[in-house]
Amino acid sequence: MLIVDLETGETSEDGLDDDLVSQKIGGAGITSSLYETYKDRDPIILGAGLLTGTLFPASALSVISARSPRAGYLTHSPFTLKAGMELKYTGFDYVVILGKSEKPVFLWLHDGVADIQDASGLWGKDVWNTTDLLRKSMGDDLIQTLVIGPAGEDGSDLAQVCVNYWSSGDCWGFGKVFGEKNLKAVALRGMGLLEISDPEEFVDQCFEILEAIKGSAIEGKRGVEDILTAMGESDAREWLSPVVHRHSACYNTPYPTNTFIYLNEDPTTLTEPAEPEPGFMITDIGAVLALKKMGFSAVDAGHILRACARRGMDPVPVAEIIGKSGQKDPKTIEQSLVGLQGSVAVPDGANFSSWVPQQPMFGDFGLSGEGSFKDWWMRRQAVAYIFGIHPIFANMSPELSEEVILEMANKGTGLGLSQETLDQVIADVCSF
Amino acid sequence: MRIDVDALKCIGCMACEMACGYHRDDAFALLASCIVVYRAREKKDYFGVVVKEEESLMIARPEGLEIRRIGVAEEASDSGPKKEADASAKPMLLREPCDLCSDMKYGPMCVKICPVNAISLLEGGE
Repeated sequence: MLIVDLETGETSEDGLDDDLVSQKIGGAGITSSLYETYKDRDPIILGAGLLTGTLFPASALSVISARSPRAGYLTHSPFTLKAGMELKYTGFDYVVILGKSEKPVFLWLHDGVADIQDASGLWGKDVWNTTDLLRKSMGDDLIQTLVIGPAGEDGSDLAQVCVNYWSSGDCWGFGKVFGEKNLKAVALRGMGLLEISDPEEFVDQCFEILEAIKGSAIEGKRGVEDILTAMGESDAREWLSPVVHRHSACYNTPYPTNTFIYLNEDPTTLTEPAEPEPGFMITDIGAVLALKKMGFSAVDAGHILRACARRGMDPVPVAEIIGKSGQKDPKTIEQSLVGLQGSVAVPDGANFSSWVPQQPMFGDFGLSGEGSFKDWWMRRQAVAYIFGIHPIFANMSPELSEEVILEMANKGTGLGLSQETLDQVIADVCSF
Repeated sequence: MRIDVDALKCIGCMACEMACGYHRDDAFALLASCIVVYRAREKKDYFGVVVKEEESLMIARPEGLEIRRIGVAEEASDSGPKKEADASAKPMLLREPCDLCSDMKYGPMCVKICPVNAISLLEGGE
């Protein structure tokens, strides 16, 4: 566990207490507890799930936990792609960031080392330029970044923490929180090693679970198109596929939830394109759905989403504002993003990101109808955020039952966690 | 026998890389894997898989398969001498070549862990 004090510029480390893990398990369970300990210092807490970065299917997730400026209370955002697992391999399962820096800084976490570095050369740069500069300056294209753009620097309520170049699950305005602390980015890279209590049993069962998943309802399905189709958009494939290049997955996640579209390059190109920025990777289902419903073409939607990501803006409320304005020209929309402000409505009592569709997808969870979705969704997200399971995939795969997850967590850690403990941690996380 | 990868089926999830690392280190780690997802062109969506073999790298690109002798970017030809490989290829030199997980009960771990069946085991001569 790392404590970072942005006011003093100092960092310190604490070992991760076994008792804390036995009582709070991991991910949002522990970040919620740490928030209570440090809340007077307005913390941002990064936390890996208990299973994050292992061979357990879909173990891609880490969380950002902080007081949301939109909600006014503690909330949690997922970060996945390869950044979620990279946090764990830096050697820091939990990072508590306290206070505010006097000057722009970025946090560089790598192989058990934590540096607070000057970000004056990055401040003012957009998300894409910032990630490029961080990777270039450190000579490693595989550094994972949590970055804010001009929107976060300007204190916009629409600001989002982005992952590398892409929109993330931050629907809580954490971009504004980073900006208020003068924290431009967190850069992550680690070549760590994760030991397992009972490795052979753990890996054996990972393979069994994966075989069950491979033969399940997700078989043959890919990308944003099939998710949109499952959500009732029967023409999603027709709308998007002319610009689809490839689909890709977050770490160890059997379903590729990300779809890359080419905007200024032939999408059938398989060789490395000469164009350095040929398109955009769609990671936000809600945002692309909103733009589709407004009548934008897939190309225009891609341009808008890319512009949002560059500025570090949450594309869902931006789409809502665009909808109200009636503006249809992507270039005009892109220009209007500069200085764009707006309020974002938050559902009562929500703590988990609405980035995840609020329904099961593909898999049969035995739910009786829409009325039962809400409680199911909350619990399912809580489990995902505690154990570090991709929260969209968690809603696709009944094979990842709580019983299986607990069994695997115990095989991996030897801690003997019970269902009662899990029920209590879920209740605690959902009650904040 | 050797590993074969269909890069167009690959979804870049890195499960193969972690499984191979487990085979090498008896723990979860990526540093020793002999199969690596090439993902350094993130903005271009250009990714594939590289496998370290005894004397060559098997590079599964989206456009097709390339077998490259280690340390050589292009073979010498009538048009000029052979060129050295990119610096980014050099870390592969530090890794053990693929042994098809001959000591593991699962057989090649990468084949078993791939969620989209992009990796297969080819018989000799294929």
